[in-house]
Amino acid sequence: MDKVKSKITLLAFGQLTDITGQSTWQMEDITDTDQLKNILIEKHPALANSKYLLAVNMEIIRGNVKLNPGDVVALLPPFSGG
Amino acid sequence: MTEKKPKKVFIDGPISPDFVAKSIASHSTKKDIGAHSIFLGQVRNDMIDGKSVAAIEYTTYPEMADLKFHEIREAAFEAYPLTCLHIYHSLGTVLAGEISLFVFTSAIHRAEAIKACEYIVERIKHEVPVWGKEILEDGSGSWKVNTV
Repeated sequence: MDKVKSKITLLAFGQLTDITGQSTWQMEDITDTDQLKNILIEKHPALANSKYLLAVNMEIIRGNVKLNPGDVVALLPPFSGG
Repeated sequence: MTEKKPKKVFIDGPISPDFVAKSIASHSTKKDIGAHSIFLGQVRNDMIDGKSVAAIEYTTYPEMADLKFHEIREAAFEAYPLTCLHIYHSLGTVLAGEISLFVFTSAIHRAEAIKACEYIVERIKHEVPVWGKEILEDGSGSWKVNTV
């Protein structure tokens, strides 16, 4: 598969950017959200103690979801608007 | 209904009392309205570790927030017989004592306007991806957590 096309885009917001050190980046060869979470925790151990939800293409997901090239996965800490 | 099209919600900085006043005034031509309900969220000077909150810096996931605001707006019009509905939320820095959220519902009678306003505010707090970083008086930061 074309390397560029196999990438997913990651977005981090709020306090999570203090942990990830960046707010947008790309990752390759990720097949599902469980695998993604494990890789992220390996890279940023503090994520294991952080409360956040995942949104895939702007939809909040629960449980494991298969990822496709081009998907946008956002790490959303608890909302605090208003 | 013209009020249903996607609208600009985010305002850079605080929502001014003048803006609120002008929004009220602009409804005087809609004479079927019998009741307005307005919610204004104000930045509070909470004490955190002995330091008071001087301001909140708001950030968002704009594409998802727009989608959520649109969903909430559609659901409110579906659930309540509203004549008019406006939602404004600040981004960037809002000082303690300034307004960061303005929800404005209008209906023929008060019950619908009041209930719809509360419904919208609750959904915004729980579902819209906006984050507030509390800036303390000494310049340090602390991420805000909404009370449920």
